[in-house]
Amino acid sequence: MEDKYIMKELKFSLYAIKKNIQNSAELRTSFLMNVVGMAINNISFIILWGFFVKSVGIIGGWTVADIVGLQGFVALCFGIVFSAGDGIRRLADYAASGSFDRFMLSPKNLLVRIATASFGTSALGDMVFGIVCLVIYASLLHASILQILLMVLLVFIAVVVFFSAAVVIYSTTFYFTDASGTVGGFFELFLSPALFHGGAFQGVMRFIFTFLVPSLLIGTLPVEIVRDLSFKKLLMVSVLAIIWFLLSIKLFYRAVRKYESTNFMTFGN
Amino acid sequence: MKKILKKIRLPIKIIKTQIREHFYYGFRLVASMMTTIARCGILLILYWYVYRLNNGVINGTTFLFAAWSIFFYFAFLTLQLRTIAKLIMQDVQSGNVEILFSKPISYLSYRMWWQVGSGIYYFLVTTTLGVIALAFLIGFPTTMKIGVFIPTLILTFFCGCILSLFIYSIVGLFSFWVEDINPIYWIVDKMIMILGGSFLPIALFPALMYKISLFSPFGAANMVTHTVYESWRTNWYQLVGVQLFWIILLGLITYFMFKKAKEKVSVNGG
Repeated sequence: MEDKYIMKELKFSLYAIKKNIQNSAELRTSFLMNVVGMAINNISFIILWGFFVKSVGIIGGWTVADIVGLQGFVALCFGIVFSAGDGIRRLADYAASGSFDRFMLSPKNLLVRIATASFGTSALGDMVFGIVCLVIYASLLHASILQILLMVLLVFIAVVVFFSAAVVIYSTTFYFTDASGTVGGFFELFLSPALFHGGAFQGVMRFIFTFLVPSLLIGTLPVEIVRDLSFKKLLMVSVLAIIWFLLSIKLFYRAVRKYESTNFMTFGN
Repeated sequence: MKKILKKIRLPIKIIKTQIREHFYYGFRLVASMMTTIARCGILLILYWYVYRLNNGVINGTTFLFAAWSIFFYFAFLTLQLRTIAKLIMQDVQSGNVEILFSKPISYLSYRMWWQVGSGIYYFLVTTTLGVIALAFLIGFPTTMKIGVFIPTLILTFFCGCILSLFIYSIVGLFSFWVEDINPIYWIVDKMIMILGGSFLPIALFPALMYKISLFSPFGAANMVTHTVYESWRTNWYQLVGVQLFWIILLGLITYFMFKKAKEKVSVNGG
């Protein structure tokens, strides 16, 4: 019975994502410009941190190749979560405009319905960029089969962490009157450190951005796990991913209870 | 005199209204501070650690200079001048531009003043708190204590504001011809981020990149990050000259683009 329900929800979310992609692809020029533009945009982080390594030298064992891997992991996570589940990012707008009501009335799973309500075209550019970076990283690392398999597994784990963190952050929407900017600030606090040079995070900073804010779980730690074949870190990241996932679901439904409709008679918009 | 007062009445009104609105929504200030802490605060801690590993000196520069340079970049960012590009695009896409064109004010100057007004409150609060925190934690470098520092800082800051408004207005004006300006915006924004000295302070730039930063409009928009270094004392008039050159050139481009854009719009009323 439970399996049937999950399959039904999964089928629905895939159908919604497919329709969203078809919808975005209708505006072909804009679609392609967004994808290519975002991929070019991301290169800037590699340039910056590449020059950083050149000027400062190797810190914490991190080379330019590791920076490429880091940007690959983070961009791919961002791309996967915010292309298919762009609706999460719009939660503040949905709540402020009252259009959140239509999700509440939907017979489908609330979180799946919200996440798949919108498609982030530019995030496809992040995905492409992320995949290219990881392929380059694997070749620079002369990765073994085990390392490649680890990379695939870690992308999955990092996506779970990224999705969970996004759900937790955007759920705070329901606690503020004017949430858009505030939630954006919280998200920045999570994402910015994930893009920084991983080797420079040591001591207290590493602890904070691993256990309290899961920024290092989506890029820095996966890179170190692949590079050093550290199964101890893999176990830690996996356990933290499960904890964050369960916590995010719980916090989301608790936060939704705070929602008060501000419907402007825009049902269906 | 009366004419001047009439001219500045609208900008003052716009800025006042914006400050009042942003003052009312206290959480927006928290969000702005959070963003600055996420980007600048964490970056400074990382650099502190990296400088310590390198015995306090990298490329002949100490952490004190690098920290103030990075801080100036992020303080300037809190003005949010870059948002003007997105607002122009929204106006064009929503058709709001038709209504604004029919008003007895210049659309572009209205948008510019609006942008200045919407960021000034965050800028003042964040910068004041940031300066106090940095002064308390790491102190001021000697270059910030010389007489020429404050006047040239203010001068280059204003030039940077005007230049940024022109750059991002040009990006925004593209929306009269291009369906979605976001890809152009990202590329220009990242050029400014790289050449302005954000995550990598200009003291750590390789020679060629440093030259590009000095003479491109993207680097010139953030010349404020150069003010803390020793070279500023002797070079400032050259660097402000570069800023003025770009202001004139990009000002003309903005003017002609806006003129062409106005010709493209047909107001149908209704």
